[in-house]
Amino acid sequence: MKFAHLADCHIGSWRDPKLRDISTKAFTKAVDLCVEKNIDFILISGDLFNTSLPNIDSLKETVLKLKELKDKNIPVYIIAGSHDFSPSGKTMLDVLENAGLFVNVAKGEVIDNKLKLNFTIDKKTGAKITGLLGKKGSLEKSYYKDLVREPLETEDGYKIFMFHSAITEFKPDDLEKMDSQPLSLLPKNFNYYAGGHPHYVFNKNEKDFGIIAYPGPLFPNNFRELEKLGNGGFYIVEDDKLEWQPIQIYNTYKIDIDCNHKSIEEVEEEFLKEIQDKEFIDTIVTIRLQGILKSGKPSDINFKEIFNKFYEKGAYFVMKNTNKLTTKEFEEIKIEKNSVEDIEESLIKEHLGQIKVKDLDIIKEEKLTKELINILNQERKEGERVTDFEKRINGEIEKVLEGL
Amino acid sequence: MDVDIFLEGDKVLTHHILIPATTGRGKSNLTSCMLWNCLEKDYCGTLVLDPHDEYYGRNKIGLKDHKKKNNLVYYTPKNVPAGCKTLKINLKVIKPQHFNGVVDWTDAQKEALSAYYRKYGATWIESIILEKPVEGFSEATLAVIKRRLLQLLDLSFRENQLFCNGAFDLQAGITIVKDICNELESSKIVIIDTSNFSGAVEILIGSLIATEILNKYKSYKIEGTLKEKPVISIVLEEAPRVLGKEVLEKGSNIFSTIAREGRKFKVGLMAITQLPSLIPRQILANMNTKIILGVEMQPERQAIIESASQDLSNDSRTIASLDIGEALISSNFTKFAIPIKIPLFEDLVKINSSKNNKIKKDFSGVA
Repeated sequence: MKFAHLADCHIGSWRDPKLRDISTKAFTKAVDLCVEKNIDFILISGDLFNTSLPNIDSLKETVLKLKELKDKNIPVYIIAGSHDFSPSGKTMLDVLENAGLFVNVAKGEVIDNKLKLNFTIDKKTGAKITGLLGKKGSLEKSYYKDLVREPLETEDGYKIFMFHSAITEFKPDDLEKMDSQPLSLLPKNFNYYAGGHPHYVFNKNEKDFGIIAYPGPLFPNNFRELEKLGNGGFYIVEDDKLEWQPIQIYNTYKIDIDCNHKSIEEVEEEFLKEIQDKEFIDTIVTIRLQGILKSGKPSDINFKEIFNKFYEKGAYFVMKNTNKLTTKEFEEIKIEKNSVEDIEESLIKEHLGQIKVKDLDIIKEEKLTKELINILNQERKEGERVTDFEKRINGEIEKVLEGL
Repeated sequence: MDVDIFLEGDKVLTHHILIPATTGRGKSNLTSCMLWNCLEKDYCGTLVLDPHDEYYGRNKIGLKDHKKKNNLVYYTPKNVPAGCKTLKINLKVIKPQHFNGVVDWTDAQKEALSAYYRKYGATWIESIILEKPVEGFSEATLAVIKRRLLQLLDLSFRENQLFCNGAFDLQAGITIVKDICNELESSKIVIIDTSNFSGAVEILIGSLIATEILNKYKSYKIEGTLKEKPVISIVLEEAPRVLGKEVLEKGSNIFSTIAREGRKFKVGLMAITQLPSLIPRQILANMNTKIILGVEMQPERQAIIESASQDLSNDSRTIASLDIGEALISSNFTKFAIPIKIPLFEDLVKINSSKNNKIKKDFSGVA
């Protein structure tokens, strides 16, 4: 048995026109590699798309590759992730599943208020696959708490569990603040646990469980990931041996400049040193500037000219991050949180309990707030009429409020 | 008199609590009752090192039955109940200082540990086991360190490879100490089941967490944000293991540091012991609240009486005759010593436990 384990493809994630199709290219390349390596089946552990209703161009390319896999008799098994899940059920994943392009293995039934998952059996290999979707803010945790475990744990055969959640015990240091769930919530005795959600590459053979693996994203999904990971990839698993396949679309080059006690001219000189004697052909360059300038403002740095120098040397794309760059000329600003999610999380926690609603305790309030933020965060889809958009959002909100 | 007695929890917990008692007089029951009450309070976070795995209630009534069980976090290394956390500590989070009060190293061995840490940083333990070079130490010294670390941390070394057999791990548990500190800061009770470990490992784990939380709280004091933080209380069973005169003669450890200066940083100890006389008088005097259960041995009573906040010199025989569940509270935060009757934990649970409300669960997204 030989299968591929992909996760967090985030097709359609980058907004810049030059990077917009990069995750689709990564997916195409991964599929080609799977075909070339004679894979029996492919697992995608959530977030195939960056949103539940992806844009038409990305969708077209993705469908073409999925169709190619179907024609070649390579089944694809998926679960929804925190990005492509929709509480209203209006997700492109359902459309593609109905078209027979893949199978969503998060299938089961509710018995006595408990969730009993069913296995999907891969016809070619006999592998028994099941799993649970991921939701924003780790809200899928409640599904695990109400999971009927015994039939899952005692089923014989080669079993795969797909999940889209960070595991507390395996979180890397830089994802310390990420919502996660304890290992004990996963059902035991599976051969392979195909994980997604935290963007890092990890595998471990865990006693009482099996191989627990995260392949990381297929392509880095933001500036920080480009810096940290360089490129993405996926696992090919054969006889319980894992081989990580890198997917290189462009080269990446990271520049980190400490601007403490430097003038604008000195910072610009550092750039020149970096550029000197180097070529950047087909390279995505990330530039991070941090520290306190001794004179001048961050906006005084002539980024246009610096970027042009990289482009003259063949760079495909140059991006910068000056979040932690400030100057003595301004009052120092302390940045405590690193991402929008962190800031949202701390603001929610700060304001919990201020509105008194009957039967709404702090835990329920936090969950409800996160769900409402996620719904209201959605943008109108391509071609979607304003009234349909409003109807969709209202429908999702009503569904969440009904659960109170 | 059937009157409820209240003490100001944040003050009492910050200024340390001593619970002395002879076996069988209800130490565990009292601690369970206090923790049950703490689960409802947002002014305190409590770390419980539980060598008998008795407070969570894995197979009996316990803190897990509280209606606010979301404020309870349970770490255990084996047979982890669903939803609880596996106790896995990454070797990279351990520093040489965490062994203070845990292992009696010779001066040469201590220097070797520091030298490895300086040279190899977070991978210093791995480097010792894999016999990576550090100059200036005899082979015998390094061999002893290696052997003791392998044994203490339950590691094995085969074909030049390191294997982790217990709670200490090479891959997992890198954020566990930070996670626990965050949980304590969120006013939760964190129970660490140490029943599978030797006393030394239990103290090492406690030392890792206590060091991190005290350092964090020290930095909050410097930042001026300490007032907003909950009090942290650390429950220590058989306290003389870390606070005993003999142990402290060999050098201080994080628990003795907390006993001395923790209250300035809102970090307190809840020390439980049968033998208070083994704890130095200075530390006993720092324990500003004593909940005295029945103590039969005269030298033990004497140690308590001499360090009590009120004059208990005439109460020695009363302390000896306290029945199961009866106690005498002597505290800087009460005007006089107060006799109390502690409720039976099982009764407390029956009165206050949660009723299961049947709410239809939502499993949207599962077809």
